[in-house]
Amino acid sequence: MTKLIEVENLYFKYKGSKYNILDGVNFNLSRGEVVAIVGLSGSGKSTFLNIICGIIPYIYNGKIKGTVKIWGQKISSMRLSEISTKIGIVFQDPDTQLFSPTVEDEIAFGPENLMVDREEIGWRIKKILKVVGMEDYRYENTNNLSGGQKQLIAMASVLVMEPEILLFDEVFAQLDKEGKKRISQVLMNLKEEGKSMILVEHDYNNIKFADRIMELKDGKLQEFKGR
Amino acid sequence: MRIEEIRIDPRTKLIIVLCLSTLGIVFKDIISLVKILLTTIFISICFHVDLMGSIKKLKSLLYILIVITLAQSIFSSDGNPLVTIGKVTFLTTEGLYKGLEFIFRMMIIIFSATILTTSSSREIVQGFVQWGLPYEMAFMVAIGIRFLPILTEEIKDSLIAIQLRGIELDKIPIKKRIHVYSYLFTPIVLGTISKAERLSIAIEMRGFRAYDSRTSYMVLKMSILDYIIIFMSIVTTIIFYIVY
Repeated sequence: MTKLIEVENLYFKYKGSKYNILDGVNFNLSRGEVVAIVGLSGSGKSTFLNIICGIIPYIYNGKIKGTVKIWGQKISSMRLSEISTKIGIVFQDPDTQLFSPTVEDEIAFGPENLMVDREEIGWRIKKILKVVGMEDYRYENTNNLSGGQKQLIAMASVLVMEPEILLFDEVFAQLDKEGKKRISQVLMNLKEEGKSMILVEHDYNNIKFADRIMELKDGKLQEFKGR
Repeated sequence: MRIEEIRIDPRTKLIIVLCLSTLGIVFKDIISLVKILLTTIFISICFHVDLMGSIKKLKSLLYILIVITLAQSIFSSDGNPLVTIGKVTFLTTEGLYKGLEFIFRMMIIIFSATILTTSSSREIVQGFVQWGLPYEMAFMVAIGIRFLPILTEEIKDSLIAIQLRGIELDKIPIKKRIHVYSYLFTPIVLGTISKAERLSIAIEMRGFRAYDSRTSYMVLKMSILDYIIIFMSIVTTIIFYIVY
């Protein structure tokens, strides 16, 4: 199987911290695979995702050791904007991911940056709104949406860029039961489409569809052996 | 007449605002300023601006305006005295005139700016971009404007948090209240910076500045009506300036 992500002997320490939050992490992600990462708060799950998508060290600083490759290319040799064309990340808080006045503008932002043709953008917006079940909200102000709807739009804004790898950093955290159900359905549909995904999650009920569950504990990433 | 139903280009609105604010700044006599203010209000109504809503939102700003007006009136010593206590003159006809002039001028600028609220921030950004302004700069301004309500929200949250700890801000003396506000400053600033940082990460991860150029899904196109409004606005502004 093609390895989309390869992480070898990854060590990471935040600036000013005495210990490594990631202490020799090894990880692979194959095409079409869905991997869930669980672990206690502060165990370094989000840090790990941030390293994979380049937020660390491009935005947040720290001492990093080891290699992270996407399609065999070291991310240290790639620009953040270049990584963003291959990896899409959805964060926990939808409020800090939406910044446009309407849903349509929000979704169009990514493809516009990637120089996608106007006609193609229109077609993609229509398609992606259908994927997340928000077709009726195309011209709605993003501030008027519920938490779950905002998270769906944040996901749509990333999906519309058609990245090959999707990262989800505790996307269920701020949602109610209905919101969780809708997001789960979207994630399951993405899995059926063959998308490669890494999900960081607390709640085991939200990751039932994952191919592998891994646990990040004491800086090490290992196969999850049950609760 | 409800112009907003016809879809006026945001660039047309920007020109109207520019003309009205220029007139508001250039003219110094109260009669002209009142005429410009009435014209501004009329145009705002034509664009179906929620004037009362805007006034409510700007309530705190209006108090500052009134204080500045009063200060200007008090410190202007020219003209006939209107309010005198002992040997000190607190208000003169000239002071009152200057104060009114200031308040009318500010109202013209504020009411004319409300016309822009009938377009979305994305439309205004696109207007600037099609005028040749780099997208990054226009986007930066739009994000800056978007951040004002976030800052307000942060302040409100901090005030609620402090009140839930049993401090009744309305009932404590002003000196102590200022002291409490100084405690709030750090968490508000840090909270806002943290939100700004997360927002900028989300923007970066959506390919912002991935290439030297970018496409735009939204394209503004001016209609004949837009050209007529722009022509009329500029001509009227020039005539108004020459005649008065």
